[in-house]
Parts: sequence; structure tokens; C-alpha cells
Amino acid sequence: MDLLLASLVDGFLLGFIYGIAAMGLTLIWGVMNVINLSHGPIIALGMFTTYLLFMSLGIPPYIGVLLAAVIGLILGVIIYLIAVQRVIDAPHLSSLLATFAVNMIIIGIGTAIFTTSPRNVDFRLGALTLGSITLQYTRIIAALIAILVTGGLYYFLYRTRLGKYIRAVANNRSAAELVGIPSNRVVAISFGLGTMLAAIAGALIATFLPFTILAGGTYETKSFVISVLGGLGNPVGALIGGLILGLLEGIIPAFTQTTWVPVIEFVLFVIILLVRPNGLFGAKE
Amino acid sequence: MNILEIHDVSAGYGEVQILWGTSIELRDGMLTSLVGSNGAGKTTTLRTIMGLIKPWQGKITFEGNDISHLPAHEKAERGLVLVPEGRQLFTDMTVEENLEMGASPQRARVNYAKNLERVYELFPRLKERRTQKAGTMSGGEQQMLAVARGIMAEPKVLMIDELSLGLAPVLVLGLFGTLRELKKLGITILLVEQNVQMALAVSDYGYVLAEGKVALEGSSRELMKNEDVRAAYLGL
Repeated sequence: MDLLLASLVDGFLLGFIYGIAAMGLTLIWGVMNVINLSHGPIIALGMFTTYLLFMSLGIPPYIGVLLAAVIGLILGVIIYLIAVQRVIDAPHLSSLLATFAVNMIIIGIGTAIFTTSPRNVDFRLGALTLGSITLQYTRIIAALIAILVTGGLYYFLYRTRLGKYIRAVANNRSAAELVGIPSNRVVAISFGLGTMLAAIAGALIATFLPFTILAGGTYETKSFVISVLGGLGNPVGALIGGLILGLLEGIIPAFTQTTWVPVIEFVLFVIILLVRPNGLFGAKE
Repeated sequence: MNILEIHDVSAGYGEVQILWGTSIELRDGMLTSLVGSNGAGKTTTLRTIMGLIKPWQGKITFEGNDISHLPAHEKAERGLVLVPEGRQLFTDMTVEENLEMGASPQRARVNYAKNLERVYELFPRLKERRTQKAGTMSGGEQQMLAVARGIMAEPKVLMIDELSLGLAPVLVLGLFGTLRELKKLGITILLVEQNVQMALAVSDYGYVLAEGKVALEGSSRELMKNEDVRAAYLGL
């Protein structure tokens, strides 16, 4: 029972991080109707940013997260300008292939440089014992940062001019042009924000889980499940979806082998697609 | 002085040409109507002026500068504003957020508070609904919001595509009254309207568009007396 509880809390904490990774994916979809298949490699780059900064320069991982965020933002804008901008109005297949190509390029370069051997940020903060359950501080802090990032994103989207521009462009791009919003610039920044969230998620995961350059793929598919669960284009849904998935991952291992986790997750994915294609919490039309 | 001039503009969608050398001039401070039957190219004219469609040939000048190939958001920045057909509101955003988005041009941001007050005076209904999502309002309220959002941009030229479409007569009267108010504020207006009678009644000058070309132009008073106009558009 205590084991289940600990596993549940662990899953719940992880859920916040899944949530921000999925928010990145869903933000990009909401603004430009593009499924970003390079989401995973950027999560992995976030992981490696924290790792490299810590291992070679001794920069604390939580400062590494900040730098990963900046790199994710800049990289996203570059990816958008080079690979996405031209195909944004083309059928979905074009943007899928374009972002998939970016995915392959990053993974290829990453594998050449880092190989696919597992890495681990060798960093410990100890654990918090509450009664009979033990929680790693790294997980708690990562979840707190994820909550902060979520709050920050909300503040940005609802209280700042640029954030409202993003919502306006997501809602009706040609109307945004009509009122004087430079929509192309706004879309580029939105893509960068989406990848920034991916990089932050990766950087946070790296502080408590081992990873390889290929690890992003797993989190990318989880982001898909979560986005569909919460409704593509709906950031709140993404957060709640992340928490649901995290909890599931906490519960499932208590009853069966861990290898069943993705099976159950994707069965859930298919069921939701069949029963509620707009997600549990509705989505942008 | 002409604030906006369209010289011999051709444009269309894909392979289909809609405008065949349209020329229109807007006198500063005047209310000009653009009328014509369905498919004559009225909406295309506005969309081309605004830069939502690129002109194939011809020239568009605004305050003497060639703006033929500027993107729409830069035209809005300069004071050329379109209230589009079908309203095109930010339906997921609140009424006030829509108005705030309307005030995106730099000039309009400075006077945001003043313009907001003015717009709420013109449309008290919007003030009551300012925290409501735009998409949940009635058609008439949405049309008010579309016009209000246009005013928030502090336009020098305000182009309105189908002000009265689908609205109850009482509302239409109110909105046409608003046009007069706007004219008093010195805003040049280009009105595309299927209700030709009302359009000519409020405007100073009019163009009749047919098959992508200007078929007839003149002061609204002249046009109202014109036999062809009376027969074709006024049902007289």
C-alpha cells in the first residue's frame, strides 16, 4: 500500500512535467495546426543541455534548465523559419514530413556526437520522508518548476500583449493580420515557445531520470497521448492530461509489469480518439 | 485630396480573375459606397486594397505612398482598416480583448483608454458584455463588435464589408447612424453594402461595380436619380 502511494505521488509529480511537454505540442497545434514531430529530439536536447553544462562546467542543473529554455526557444524559431514556415498552409502531411525531417536530422547529429549510450546527471539532493513514503527532492523541485512554468505561460498568454497576440492568431489568423498583428512573427515565436516548453521538460526530467539522445521519442509519444486526452490546442487540458498520465504510470506498475504501461496508455489513446475525438476537455475547433 | 487611390487594379483567386481594371478614389473625410450585384467584385476589391489578396496588376496608393504590395498588418499599422465580411472576430476571446486586439497599431495603443471609452459610448451594449466571449454573442452584437474593433485601430480609412447583412432592421438603422458619427470624427469610410438604398442615403459618393469594373460613379444623389441604378438596385 505504501509502495502504491509512493508510486502514485511520484507519478503525479512527473505528470506536471509531462504536462508542460504536452503544452508545447498543443500550443504549436493550436496556433498553426502543425503537429511538431521534432518535439522529442528537442526534449532530448533539453536533457543534454542540463547534462553537458553540469558535467563539463559544473553549472547547477536548475540553471541548466534556464539555458535549455533559451536554447529551445531559439532553436524552435530557427526550425520554424527554415522548415515549417513554407509548408504551414500546405496539407498536414507536408508539415508532418518537414518536422519529421528535422527530427531525423537532430537525432542523427545527436547520435553521432553523443552516441546512444545512457547518460545520467550525477546530482542528488536527498529525499523527503513523509510517514512511510519517500520522495526525491529532485522530483519535487522539478514538479514545482513545472507548475511555475505553467503559471508563467498562463500569465503570458492572458496578461501580456504578445501572449494575447498569440491567442488572437490561434483563434483567427487573417483577422489578426487585419487588426495589425504581424502574424508571421507571432507564429514563429509560438513555435519557439512550444519547443521551449519541450526543452524545459527534457531538462527537468534529466535531473532525476537517466536518458539517451533517443529518449525524447518516448516523451513525445506521451505528449501526443496527453494532448489528445486533454484536447489538442487546449493547454489546461494538457496539464490535466499530463497529471492523469502520470498517475496512471504510478498505478499501473503496482498491478502489472512496467512494460504494460505504454500498451495501456495507447489503448487509452485509441479509445479517446474513438469516443471523444475532441479530448476529454474539449479542443479548439 | 484623395487619401486612397486604386488605379486599374486586377486581381483574383488562383486562376479566376475577379477584378478587371478597377479604379476607385476616396476623398479625404468622405463616406463612399461601393455597390453592385453579387459576384461583382466588391469584397475582392476590399480584400485587395487591404492586402489579403495580392493585386495582379495596377497600383494602390494610400496618402500618396504606393502600398500595393504591403502585407495587411502593415496597412493596418498605417491606418487602413477593414471590417471584414462575416465579422472575423476573435471568438474565443472576450469582447474587451477583441477591442484591445483592434488597438494593435502603434498609433492606436497610445489612445487606447480614450478610444475604448468612445467605443463604449457608441455601443453601450458592448460595455455590458465586455467580459463575455465574442463568439457567444448574438449576430447584431457581433457586428457591433466588428465595427468597434475597427474603430479601436484609429483608422484613417475604415472599410466596411456588408454592414447590414443578416441584421434586424432596427440594428441596421443604429449602425448606419454610427457611420454618420464616425464621419463626423473625420474618418474616411468605404462602405460595401447590399442594401443600396441605405448605402447611397448615408454616403457622399458612390461607385457601381459590375463584372469587376466600375460601371458607374457619381455623387450619391446623382446615382439615386440614375435610371439604371434605380432599375437594377433600388427596384424602382
